[in-house]
Amino acid sequence: MKEGSAEKERNALAARVKSWTDRYRGVLALVAVVLLGCIFSPENYRSDWPLFLTLDTQLDVLFEYSEVGILATGMTLVILTGGIDLSVGSVLGMSATLFSLMVVAYGLPVAVALPAAVLAGAVAGCLCGGLIAKTKMQPFVATLAMMAAARGMAKLISGGIKVQPGAREWYAVQSGTPAFFETMTSALPGIPVQPVTLLFVFTLVFMWLVVKYTRFGRHLYAIGGSEEAARLSGIRIGLTKVAAYGLCGLFAGLAGVCNASRMTLGDPEAGSTYELDAIAAVVIGGTSLMGGRGNMLLTLLGTLIIGYINKILSLNAVPEHYRLLAKGAIIVAAVLIQQKRRD
Amino acid sequence: MKTTFRAIAAILVVASLVLITSCKRQQPSAGGGSGAGAGSGGGKGGGTGHKEQWVIGMSQCNLGEPWRVQMNEDIKKAAAEHPRIKLILKDAQNKSEAQQAQTKEFISQGVDLIIISPKEARPLTQPVADAIDKGIPVIVLDRKVEGDKYTCFIGADNVKIGREAGKHLVKLLGGKGNVVELKGLMTSTPGQERHNGFMEGLAGSELKIVFDADCQWLEPNASKEMNSALSRLEKIDAVYAHNDPSAHGAFLAAKQEGKGREKTIKFIGIDALPHEGVRYVKEGIMTATFQYPTGGKEAIDVAMKILKGEKVEKNITLGTMIYTAENVEKGGETIQ
Repeated sequence: MKEGSAEKERNALAARVKSWTDRYRGVLALVAVVLLGCIFSPENYRSDWPLFLTLDTQLDVLFEYSEVGILATGMTLVILTGGIDLSVGSVLGMSATLFSLMVVAYGLPVAVALPAAVLAGAVAGCLCGGLIAKTKMQPFVATLAMMAAARGMAKLISGGIKVQPGAREWYAVQSGTPAFFETMTSALPGIPVQPVTLLFVFTLVFMWLVVKYTRFGRHLYAIGGSEEAARLSGIRIGLTKVAAYGLCGLFAGLAGVCNASRMTLGDPEAGSTYELDAIAAVVIGGTSLMGGRGNMLLTLLGTLIIGYINKILSLNAVPEHYRLLAKGAIIVAAVLIQQKRRD
Repeated sequence: MKTTFRAIAAILVVASLVLITSCKRQQPSAGGGSGAGAGSGGGKGGGTGHKEQWVIGMSQCNLGEPWRVQMNEDIKKAAAEHPRIKLILKDAQNKSEAQQAQTKEFISQGVDLIIISPKEARPLTQPVADAIDKGIPVIVLDRKVEGDKYTCFIGADNVKIGREAGKHLVKLLGGKGNVVELKGLMTSTPGQERHNGFMEGLAGSELKIVFDADCQWLEPNASKEMNSALSRLEKIDAVYAHNDPSAHGAFLAAKQEGKGREKTIKFIGIDALPHEGVRYVKEGIMTATFQYPTGGKEAIDVAMKILKGEKVEKNITLGTMIYTAENVEKGGETIQ
């Protein structure tokens, strides 16, 4: 009798630990990565202090991955519906070019250029969403088309060159760097955080609240879970999809403004392959590519995990071939872990 | 609900742990290093006395190009001759943002000197200026940054190299003949300069450019364009390619034509990498190649001077070398 109850207790404990580790798998992965960073940290050559454990390095991870993080935030909305958006990298490039063009070439105030650039991204996203909702085109195909078209648009409006002061004789700004670019990427007075980083954190937290507590958020899950059931329960599927893709494009536009600020120029090639980083961040976090399962905080985890891993590899000057191999292995591992949970 | 709050709590705990450990600057313990900095004891308390080791951080913009791989090789070879130098090489994979991050990392790592070969001027101007402000000297290789906040710029002169190629061809053909020009990417500065220099070199002769095309530095494009040139033109005396792989591609096209024209046409290229242009000259495929120096060796020489506290020139323009069948075994000939 006694033995049996002890065993039962043990089993219960094991089950509790298992459910706990299951639930916090992403957090545990992040902790593991951070520990790796502490162990494999090169030292500062002047003070012998581990480089990984400096506030600068920690904030740089957020700063360097803020663009991918903003893209991943929008991507999460789309992936929750069971879709995918391959166009975000190109839309980022288009928005970065458009923003620089307005500020540098035409000398428009940022108050005009910023909303216009973000809006351009939203329009591109809505077009994708519209195509997918109206014509039942597969998201992969529709956004693949937008990926090409947005890149073409970026090259068209820039004339194929990088939009920077003095690049053409008629540009309004001929030298120096527009003040807005520097403000966005320099630390705020008092706190050592750049506005770009804050923008990423704010965007993600805001969208986490939206997905969690609004009807729109619940509809995303419903569509991703079962589109047919969602339709039967009276959810306006087309409208929700257009909104999801539109927001995804809008955030890509916002990330484009961040990119232009960081590069201090508008590069029509900016953001190529960023869509893959954004998708990887969402997937590594644990949001299901099949839709209907996941959330924004997981995306934050995924972004941080990718950001930290890249930082650790970069700090240790690991050659690119090993980095790509590591990236591939990590994505496979993350997805395998997710599959296990479903069983 | 509960889950979410727990998740947030967990994230906050991780974040605060990280922040606490990073803000609290305890006495460094023995462990914690990956061995990268092992043996750098002399570097402690920097500035005082003579340091045993000099750490040089090198940020290369793209190791996908053979010429840049060669640059890194030259730097490694030159650095190996100075036992006091510890070299850290980083590859930015053709991304300016990665190069910005690498420069910042070198600064916070407290390296003694930075060598950077920028992908593009503008995004890297500020990071390089930051390093200078922190008292770390920066050597800029091949492509410039804006303004003058750097310690030393080392680069080669494409116009001069193009001009030398033109003059050499005039001499070779006796001042008369038909030339095919296979250009590099013409929206890039090196492409434009190699063309302009070449035209200067041809000035006053009776050499004519009978066919030209933008091959974007790529060998397959050069082969295709050369095919067109061969089928359109009866008499081609020479091919001037903006890089050696293009010259090689043109040679292959002439050979595949099957009329033996590859033996009469003179192929001239630029770059002279050991395993490309120089090898082609040795094998008799190319008539001559002109070196576009990487500046890797020179960068280490200048770095040593800076670290020893000597004054260096702000801008250094490198010369070129010509490799022909006559001099290739002796290691080429310097053109001043």
